[in-house]
Amino acid sequence: MPELYVPAQLEDALGFMGEHAGLALPVAGGTDVLIDLRIGRATPKWLVDLSPLEALAGLAFDGETLRIGALTRIRTIELDAEVARRAPAVVEAARVLGSVQIRTMATVGGNICHATPSAEMPPALLVHDAVATVAGPDGERSLSLSELFSGPGKTTLENSELLTAVTLRAPKERSGSCYLRQTVRWSMDLAGVGVAAAVETDGAVVTGARVALCAVAPVPLLVAEAADAVVGTELTTETAVEAAARAAAACSPITDARGTAEYRRQVVAVLVARALRIAWLRATGEWPAGVPAPINGVLSGEGA
Amino acid sequence: MRLELTVNRDPYRREVAPDASLLTVLRDDLGLTGTKWGCMTGDCGACTVLVDGEPVVSCLQLAQQVQGGEVTTVEGLGRDGELGDIQAAFVRNGAAQCGFCTPGMIVAAEALLRHNAAAGEAEIREGLAGNLCRCTGYNKIVDAVLEVGRARSAAT
Ligand SMILES: Cc1cc2nc3c(=O)[nH]c(=O)nc-3n(C[C@@H](O)[C@@H](O)[C@H](O)COP(=O)(O)OP(=O)(O)OC[C@H]3O[C@@H](n4cnc5c(N)ncnc54)[C@H](O)[C@@H]3O)c2cc1C
Ligand code: FES
Ligand code: FES
Repeated sequence: MPELYVPAQLEDALGFMGEHAGLALPVAGGTDVLIDLRIGRATPKWLVDLSPLEALAGLAFDGETLRIGALTRIRTIELDAEVARRAPAVVEAARVLGSVQIRTMATVGGNICHATPSAEMPPALLVHDAVATVAGPDGERSLSLSELFSGPGKTTLENSELLTAVTLRAPKERSGSCYLRQTVRWSMDLAGVGVAAAVETDGAVVTGARVALCAVAPVPLLVAEAADAVVGTELTTETAVEAAARAAAACSPITDARGTAEYRRQVVAVLVARALRIAWLRATGEWPAGVPAPINGVLSGEGA
Repeated sequence: MRLELTVNRDPYRREVAPDASLLTVLRDDLGLTGTKWGCMTGDCGACTVLVDGEPVVSCLQLAQQVQGGEVTTVEGLGRDGELGDIQAAFVRNGAAQCGFCTPGMIVAAEALLRHNAAAGEAEIREGLAGNLCRCTGYNKIVDAVLEVGRARSAAT
């Protein structure tokens, strides 16, 4: 049975983790950790309760960036109008994560650091150029969020480090993003495929784009060559389909209860095209403000 | 480890294991067995309670993180031996069969209606998606929650 250490502040937690390197497991919302302990996937000597570290919780906007503290609950993100305006993909990923109960407990930092390949916040954050801030015994360092993932359940964090925040770039004037997913059931299911897209435009053509995937590779994937397919073009069905084909080629899904590898690859191709289109409609102001995308990206009047 | 918390307006102080879940504390240490032990993986919602007014699955809630907090279980939704309004509506609508999901369902419904008493059917189904029922087929549960939502909206 692990012991519990309750730090008063971040420095205490970092100091403790340094002293007990490899033996201390941080607990944020606990929705992954309590299961890991119960099934024996984690066997730490110490649990380090992050919940008292209030400075790591909450959203901070300056005129430019949006800083999301690692301990921010998914439910807080889901209900925040400013995040919805700046980063709709992030709210769309938050809305479908687990149940209200799970979202009330789960933190964004835990969703990232557990590094589950199907975790849904990472792709939504990646298309907004998220930068991770990590605190360790020697101070803080920043890295792009994709550099944090090294494999299923594995991050590049040192034993003595904690994720403190992710920071999203300021949204451009005409930009939009979107998160879509495929599941076997509508709710309380992990993503079989998750897709996020972001688009910027000068009013005529796409000037910048990002496409990111989860659940179809060992780590969340930012697929630059897919995004490149739409840059410089007016987003049309042809360019979106080309981007989608490139994303499908770049991923490496497995076959499991949520779908075969081949099926997942085809779903990637479909969802990337839909996500780009919705992001484009948002960027061009043709999508009604504040209205979430249908989670499979099928617009009314169209077949699935 | 010492744990102090308030459950249904009563203060408690107990020695509990450092990694104890709130569910085991409620059931085994405090004898409040209304909250059900279901999947223990966060999927079924039978263990739902409110912590500081927000719904959580107590099976995945580290009890020590609720230190000093206020917990409401299904036992706390009635008063003086009378059923609460959601409990009464579940009875009227036949929204409970075996009853195993019912405490979690009612606590989750309480959280939902506090957040939005005017919730429509789709919002209720979405808001209760984390509470599984193997008996009722959900329709009567939705009817009961709609009925209470209407009554609460009319009363304010
Ligand atoms: C029923 C159920 C349904 C779910 N559905 C979904 C879903 O649809 N989509 C989805 O993406 N996820 C889903 N999840 C998983 C999701 O709840 C978790 O990934 C959650 O976001 C983790 O956050 P937490 O705060 O609970 O983390 P914890 O469980 O506390 O921690 C998770 C991991 O991250 C580490 N950690 C936490 N915070 C930090 C930090 N700041 N720095 C360094 N390491 C840290 C911990 O040591 C641990 O290894 C579901 C879970 C359950 C139980
Ligand atoms: S017992 Fe907690 S969700 Fe099932
Ligand atoms: S009444 Fe039996 S599980 Fe819901």
